[in-house]
Amino acid sequence: MSDLLDISILIDYQDVYWKGFFITLKASVFALILSFILGVIIAVFRISTVKSLRWFGTAYVEYIRNIPLLILVFVFYNGLPSIGVNLDSFMAGGLGLGIYTSAFIAEAIRAGIQSVPKGHVEAARSSGLTYLQTMRFVVLPQAIKIVLPPLGNQFINLVKNSSIFGVIAGGDLMYQADIINSETFQTVSVYLFVALFYLLLTIPLSLFVNYLERRLARAY
Amino acid sequence: MIRFHHVNKHYGQFHVLKDINLEIQSGEVVVIIGPSGSGKSTLLRCINRLETITDGELTVDGVSVGDRKTNINELRRDIGMVFQHFNLYPHMSVLKNITLAPIRVSKASPKEASETAMYYLQKVGIPDKADAYPSQLSGGQQQRVAIARGLAMKPKIMLFDEPTSALDPEMVGEVLDVMKSLAKEGMTMVVVTHEMGFAREVADRVIFMDHGQIVEEGDPATFFTQPKEERARQFLSRLNH
Repeated sequence: MSDLLDISILIDYQDVYWKGFFITLKASVFALILSFILGVIIAVFRISTVKSLRWFGTAYVEYIRNIPLLILVFVFYNGLPSIGVNLDSFMAGGLGLGIYTSAFIAEAIRAGIQSVPKGHVEAARSSGLTYLQTMRFVVLPQAIKIVLPPLGNQFINLVKNSSIFGVIAGGDLMYQADIINSETFQTVSVYLFVALFYLLLTIPLSLFVNYLERRLARAY
Repeated sequence: MIRFHHVNKHYGQFHVLKDINLEIQSGEVVVIIGPSGSGKSTLLRCINRLETITDGELTVDGVSVGDRKTNINELRRDIGMVFQHFNLYPHMSVLKNITLAPIRVSKASPKEASETAMYYLQKVGIPDKADAYPSQLSGGQQQRVAIARGLAMKPKIMLFDEPTSALDPEMVGEVLDVMKSLAKEGMTMVVVTHEMGFAREVADRVIFMDHGQIVEEGDPATFFTQPKEERARQFLSRLNH
């Protein structure tokens, strides 16, 4: 047992683990914000009355969510330099992850928006509110309640998917684990410990989403 | 105030409104009745462009509703609307429901908007519900809030789309009472309803629609006692069982 799970790895390499942890945290926050903003915009496109916007939104969602995340990240990291755009691994990974996740978030938000009764939109528009005001004050606050559980799932997936940074020298948890492993060859210990650091991010996130859900359920 | 001039509307193949000609004066209370599917709600919803017309001319206060250059949001400020299913915003308190448009559209200060909201809540008889949420109110109370919400924009016209059809019978009266007092104050009102008592008592003019056409119009006394058209007679006789 002590051979399988060597606690000294955790102690000796704690600085390396923590370094990866904070990069994973930073990358996740960056990609989360990006994916949320893009997701809202694409969701609004998807339900727009303007045909070309709707078409673009649908094409975006179907294209992005049906290709592997790794391809997106490689395009940003390895592909863009060929057209003169050099992104560091953080930006390349963050953009790839953010854009990838935004497609799923757009779909969750679209479903939430469409669950708001049409009559509320008509009431708002007939009082003189613009389309955007109607979205902001009437539709989105109601939609968020329905969207929150699937959104929480997407954000948890995003944190886990940030391990993609490991393949583009992103310095994240996964990358650091690979380094520790190559020095110690204690594969099982190294990766089980790194899993703990991921849990340190995902479990609080999961609890936070549950808490928000309960709070919103009480709101009205 | 409102003028339909040879207005037609099609839903694909379906001809919903057929050659509508109608003029409604300022301060007039017009009640539109007719069997379901006759196009009365559609006609009402064209006035604030919740529905678009296919051809003809529709003007409100001299402004063409269908014109692309018309700022529809500006026009809609002056046209309040009350719906069959109330359509209150469930995530906002009664007060917030009423102050949203005055604050965001008319740029009233929150304080000013709240005062106006309280004035109209007083008027519809439920000032004590300002902080309640719609789900805590009865249907009749919700509809009265919806009326207050419409009035808070100080519109020139109020549209009512079957405002009592979704209410329990014992709550119909309280909503109609509010509408009656509004009519007395000289508000221009267009009301789609099945409440013949209201039409008889309050309307300046009754419009009877069937199959997308205005079949007959007249003052309520004449219309209800001596309808000219056969279809109107049939409709009224079916109601009087």
